Amino acid sequence: MAVAVAVAVAMLTGAAAQAEPIPNLPPYGGAYQPQGVDERGLWMEFDEIERSFRDSTVVINDASLKAYIQQVMCRMVGTARCETVRLYIVRNTSFNASMGPNGMMIVHTGLLLRARDEAKLAAVLGHEFAHFELRHSLLRFKHSRTAGDIAAWAGVAGAGAWALGGRGAYNSVRMAQSVQNAAIGSTYAHTRDQERQADLLSMAYLRASAYDPHCFPDIWDRLMDEADATAQGRRQRSTRYDRVSFFADHPTDLERATTLRGLAVAMNKPGEDGKARYDTALAGWRAQLFADQIKRNDFEGTDYLLGQLAGAQWSTDLLFARGELYRTRGHPRDLAAAVGFYRDVVARDPTHAEAYRGLGLAQLRSHDAAGAEALRTYLTMKPAADDAAMISMLIQ
Amino acid sequence: MLLRYMALVVSCALLVMGAQPAWAQEKSGTKPGFVLPPGSAKILLVRPTIRVGAQSTGGMFEPNADWTAQARDNIAAALALAQTRLGNQVIVAEEPVGPAAQAMADYRALFSVLADSVMRYQFFPGNRLPSKKRKGVFDWTMGPGVAQIARETGADYALFLSNQDQFGSTGRKFLQVFAAFAYVSVKSGEHTGMAGLVDLKTGDLVWLNADMAMGGDVRTPEGAKKRVAQLLEDFPGSVAPATPAAQ
Amino acid sequence: MKRTLWLGAILLTTAQPALASNTLIVAQAPVAVAKSPMTVTPDREWNKMGARPGRNSESWTIDGDGLNEVTFYGGIEADRTLFREVSKRTMPLPRFSATMLLTDIPALFEASYRIALNTPVMKIDTVAPTTFLGHKAVQFAFTYSRVDEEVRRRGDAVAAIIGGKLFMITFDAPDIFYYQRDVAAYRAIVATAAIAR
Repeated sequence: MAVAVAVAVAMLTGAAAQAEPIPNLPPYGGAYQPQGVDERGLWMEFDEIERSFRDSTVVINDASLKAYIQQVMCRMVGTARCETVRLYIVRNTSFNASMGPNGMMIVHTGLLLRARDEAKLAAVLGHEFAHFELRHSLLRFKHSRTAGDIAAWAGVAGAGAWALGGRGAYNSVRMAQSVQNAAIGSTYAHTRDQERQADLLSMAYLRASAYDPHCFPDIWDRLMDEADATAQGRRQRSTRYDRVSFFADHPTDLERATTLRGLAVAMNKPGEDGKARYDTALAGWRAQLFADQIKRNDFEGTDYLLGQLAGAQWSTDLLFARGELYRTRGHPRDLAAAVGFYRDVVARDPTHAEAYRGLGLAQLRSHDAAGAEALRTYLTMKPAADDAAMISMLIQ
Repeated sequence: MLLRYMALVVSCALLVMGAQPAWAQEKSGTKPGFVLPPGSAKILLVRPTIRVGAQSTGGMFEPNADWTAQARDNIAAALALAQTRLGNQVIVAEEPVGPAAQAMADYRALFSVLADSVMRYQFFPGNRLPSKKRKGVFDWTMGPGVAQIARETGADYALFLSNQDQFGSTGRKFLQVFAAFAYVSVKSGEHTGMAGLVDLKTGDLVWLNADMAMGGDVRTPEGAKKRVAQLLEDFPGSVAPATPAAQ
Repeated sequence: MKRTLWLGAILLTTAQPALASNTLIVAQAPVAVAKSPMTVTPDREWNKMGARPGRNSESWTIDGDGLNEVTFYGGIEADRTLFREVSKRTMPLPRFSATMLLTDIPALFEASYRIALNTPVMKIDTVAPTTFLGHKAVQFAFTYSRVDEEVRRRGDAVAAIIGGKLFMITFDAPDIFYYQRDVAAYRAIVATAAIAR
């Protein structure tokens, strides 16, 4: 029994992908139709998800934002390919986009916040389309099932405290056993290989597009730095360098950044970043995205991200977001810093009512009576504000 | 040692017989005083929620489109037959469009939450609520607003159905036997169904049948008939099937 | 059977000691809640859930926590979360601070729900001043949905900070029918809330 299991595990762990050149872009054959029982089942599951998803409260229905992102998609992968994509924008603070095998693509607002310019957004969307073109969802589903089976058998054979059968053996395992760990690891190793393949294909799209190929590796550097900041804030170990985090879905970001940068340099192709177009398209959403990010309760990660978005020049809205972030955490020194940020905002824009609100609240919380005056200014500017009555009570 | 041996023998026997577990997993409840005289009402049949797939050894639900499509067809056909046994006229609800679609989705979603609450807090022991445990109490509602899903149909009642099947694979059945040695209980497959009748005048749930170990293989017409029969078991006011000569 | 998850059922995803059983709360009798000096007198019968959302909290329901749920927070201390952590390492909950202003409480509540229920769709709709437990207080209304459940949920809350501790009573129900029907019973509870000196 133990031998059989070892053989099975070896079967799952294939050889790691060798360094490969960027493939040539194959002609696109149109949307793939499912074949066979497994594929149809998976398609049906995704179709059902799409049906209930369409009217969900998390989906953003801003027509012009949707149209813009669809255009970006087409600039990236070409018209033949982008026509098969049905795009949905979802309120979710994580940096993520994913594409189901049936052609539905989900883009998280967390990605829109971090992309900074059109080229970076295009790179990530292209990556997801590459998974779709390579039919990875189906293969991954098939693989997970086998690995799950092995894990379940190992658990029972160990006669440990195996929780009652439920979805996903790895969720219910309490006592780690070495066979189980190896089997679980290989599920993710398979995904890592697929990520490498998808990265290569998306570099092929980039090469054929008008975008600058360097945009893709840059994203991973900044994601790693943000993750470092988050980990530091939580006093946890960061997992960025060459140690592959056990449950990492993607190849370590460092490895990825290095590989992609090498490919971009070799490509030696100039390109645009579309930053001006991007900023215009996202202008109406930025305040909301900052607010959502701050509600994640990740101070260091958010502070790092805001700094990155600012670069050399803090815009008014980024300064305001920073004030809100510091005021939300609310330690005594945070409140003092927040007061400084809000003051900078009103110095640049004396009509920024929300900054007066933040300033006043930060001061009041620090037992600084000057806060009442700032709040009065806010109420004068916005007498019909949603929380006007509440703020009035505070300054009585 | 003897106990483990006994457990193995019993498990093997169950495996061979394909029997269901002995403890009660099925329950129904009726609002006190509710009766449904035959031929007295129109019942709106809301689109059933049906999911069919396989359960791998590791417990993953694998959707199966062919099975689900078969199940939907079979259950629809079985319901068409069973309707005549409900003793009343049945109208199949059409798929609404526009704002009406949102209302339909809302009420189907609310039915799931409501039926789950009935199962969790009244039917099955473990976490029951004191106010629901009392004898003769069956006090559940969807609110009178549910009538909007039946607008212009003239229906008096709405019948909601929810059905999920996960068929345990061979791998999982063997796992169950092996698990008996370790005193570990491993569920093989899940066959859960709920059927509820709602009075459209008040929104009250007048009848609910819930079953966590349903029989009948819904991928076959015979199995679907059996399943529907179980779902509609104890349906208030149901009449005996017509004799073959009369069909 | 698909498990529907609402706030009370966060417990199912975290390690739990043996659950106490649910008990009956009779009408018109004052009762102390959330292991605190706060007492309320309900105008109708309720069920008290044996499982608690956190150390200083307790939940009541009429028909089940997915249909109507009142939660009492009895003196949450500084640097404590509102309820039990769901995933402390990767998604830690925000903590109450004694320096918080009343305007910070809706934000604390919103972030806590967003993180604990992993939902990006949680919104504070209105905020207004009020009196609660004899102190200046904040009352607010909210709406939210869980991403794996199609029911839209609505709620109300009232909170005061007394002696550096947070006292709050909240109400959660599906927007379809149950919120409208049962919010009055919640308000009746809040109106009778008192704090022993």
